[in-house]
Amino acid sequence: MPRGKVAGRKANGLDTLWRASLDDYVNDLAWSSDGRTVAAADVAEPISILEADTGEVLKRLSGHGFGTTSLSWNTRGVLASAGQDGKVRLWDVNSGEGKELDGGSQWVEKVAFSPDGKHLVSSAAKKIRMWKRSGELLWESEDHQSTVSDVEWKPGSARDLATSAYGGVSLWKPGSPKPARKFEWQGSTLKISWSPNGKYIATGDQDSTVHFWIVSHGMDLQMFGYATKVRELAWDAHSRYLATGGAEAVTVWDCGGKGPEGSRPLSLEAHTEFVSTLSYQRRGNLLLSGGGDGLAVLWEPGRTESPLAVTTLGSAISTLTFSPDDKRAAVGSDDGSVWMMGIS
Amino acid sequence: MTEVLEGSRVPVTVLTGFLGSGKTTLLNRILTENHGKRIAVIENEFGEVGVDQELVIGADEEVFEMNNGCICCTVRGDLIRILGNLMKRRDRFDYIMIETTGMADPGPVAQTFFMDDEMRDKMQLDSVTTLVDAKHVSQHFDDSPEVTEQIAFADVILLNKVDLVEEGEVDKLEARIRSMNAAAKIYRTKDAVLELDKVLDVGGFNLDRALDIDPKFMEPEYPFEWAGVYELEAGKYEFAFEEGPDPAMKAAILPISNADSVELDLARDRTVLLFSGEEHPVEAGKSIVPSQKVYELDLGGGKSSFGVEISEAGAYALFTEHYPEEFEAELRGNGTPLSPVLEREYAPDHEHDDEVTSVGITTPGDLDVQKFNAWLGDVLQNLGQDIFRMKGVLSLAGEDTRFVFQGVHMLFDGRPDRPWREGEERTNSLIFIGRNLNREELNKGFEACLAEK
Repeated sequence: MPRGKVAGRKANGLDTLWRASLDDYVNDLAWSSDGRTVAAADVAEPISILEADTGEVLKRLSGHGFGTTSLSWNTRGVLASAGQDGKVRLWDVNSGEGKELDGGSQWVEKVAFSPDGKHLVSSAAKKIRMWKRSGELLWESEDHQSTVSDVEWKPGSARDLATSAYGGVSLWKPGSPKPARKFEWQGSTLKISWSPNGKYIATGDQDSTVHFWIVSHGMDLQMFGYATKVRELAWDAHSRYLATGGAEAVTVWDCGGKGPEGSRPLSLEAHTEFVSTLSYQRRGNLLLSGGGDGLAVLWEPGRTESPLAVTTLGSAISTLTFSPDDKRAAVGSDDGSVWMMGIS
Repeated sequence: MTEVLEGSRVPVTVLTGFLGSGKTTLLNRILTENHGKRIAVIENEFGEVGVDQELVIGADEEVFEMNNGCICCTVRGDLIRILGNLMKRRDRFDYIMIETTGMADPGPVAQTFFMDDEMRDKMQLDSVTTLVDAKHVSQHFDDSPEVTEQIAFADVILLNKVDLVEEGEVDKLEARIRSMNAAAKIYRTKDAVLELDKVLDVGGFNLDRALDIDPKFMEPEYPFEWAGVYELEAGKYEFAFEEGPDPAMKAAILPISNADSVELDLARDRTVLLFSGEEHPVEAGKSIVPSQKVYELDLGGGKSSFGVEISEAGAYALFTEHYPEEFEAELRGNGTPLSPVLEREYAPDHEHDDEVTSVGITTPGDLDVQKFNAWLGDVLQNLGQDIFRMKGVLSLAGEDTRFVFQGVHMLFDGRPDRPWREGEERTNSLIFIGRNLNREELNKGFEACLAEK
């Protein structure tokens, strides 16, 4: 996309560094904490460990029957995975050996290591399970009202987490099978995202809305007007901007100042089909969006509503994530391609 | 949103029916028969026979409301999740079968394919197919709303295990099911044996086939209960009544060219129109003549009699609002009761007063679009929870093409169809299947939407 140079800044760009081909639809991508490898899970069985610099497949892990749904690395290089075989696995990537844990149902939706890497949470059907990183089961939650749609650790916290399900958000403290708090909403919540400063929990909902919960007192704000269900949420590092999908445009709410209530959000327009995935840089201000149209678009919300760079990858984008140093982004698509994009 | 070609969407059949009705038997038959399709099966419960197939996924019947408590907007969260994942696979399945539990409400299952964008874009609900255990279903009609709902929702009904029931009983059962759901195709089966094209790719929710309804089941409820055909000489006759349940009754007498059923059916259709027009009051003792009029005979609550003047010998059809026997009514010539050469009863079988019924409306003429929109909006607003299915073809004033529609509860889906053909009568035909539907009110409401000529 042609654009003039802004004084004092060089133009941003998205450069394709490499492309790797997996068997099928890319469900999840996860960077190892040293930024050297990317683990890729697809809807077919295996998990591929890709070298971040080259795209070379370093290892194929056997993965999960009927598909791997979710991946998470801890800081010690252990990779956790979940799948539709009802299992959670902890992988020693070097040896390719996996330790199998019972997810508690026939389908495990998500796994996530705690920020300090010591604990692992898994969600399956109406429950979450908490594991030591060694694989020892610590506790299991009581049933949620429906299947747990998402689970996320409180940023920077070693212990606290939040889950979403039909009926709203539950906050959990370690060791108790009952939620410490509940933010109730009679709707189906699909995706949860905790602001990096821990003050807000945003949810994307089946009924084409986004909710903001103010964690300190549990008040909520509901944002209407989305074209479809909202499963794409991303906070910027400063907890000011929340980028949301649920439409062709990326809608960005400004939670600075008086907060998003009554404000008009930024509307970032470049995609010609629904936005399918969003990711903010871990420390920087850049936002990357992927769409059903196969476009990857780089933005800097708050500075300009125009895209900084647009790249056509051809096939609908399913997931994307920035590298630990924010200089690259791994992008997965529905035809099994994994792309490495350089951010300049 | 991008336009999706019909053909690119994967068809979905929803299989409902009580435990023991033969769902799993049918499923196994479909899976093992050589049809060249790759079928994914979503199962809600373990059937009486294990399903032998590479891909069988268990579902957990998770029903939730999309918009704060409206049943018309309930969907199945488990299906969105399971099917969403299934549709990611490159080796796409050609067909999806969803087997629900015996107690499942088909509404949320069907609505899932209309309420969720992802489901609607990738899949096409093909039909709700309901299996009915011919031997045991009658026991459940009264105590289990699920049975009647499953019948009401169905595009295809398999009256299964007919070999265990006497034929006369099956006839009665079929008639009763037909009165609940006049639009479904009903097949009698043993061990759920049936040609697969009767179950797969049926197009039950396909607008192109919205009016693939057997026209004989679209018969309106007639405004008269009885007709008799008489061969009469010219002269004066008497229509005599004893005391009866009503103080007045509508009747019409029309000349017909032949005393046969074809002519009677033609006269019946004309008389339907007559009955919707103005009636002409007739006092007891006065006479009526064969004409294109509907008379309202003043019976006065006791014995009464009316003259019938026939100026030309021939066949005549006499239509009465109620059964003549309710009044011991007779047509007499020279004081002798005459027997009709042909007789018809038009009242439906009122033996079972089922809550679930079908209301068919067939009315020639053009609709005032604004009036119709307002009326239908009102109907869906007020009766949406009770209307399970609706479909039809409309003739809209000022439009050269037919308008086809179908719906589930409050969800309405419609679009212009092919042009009306040269010489084709512009007629509206629609059907509502629901609970506690007021036939008369729906008919009246619809009639009021016709455009002024």
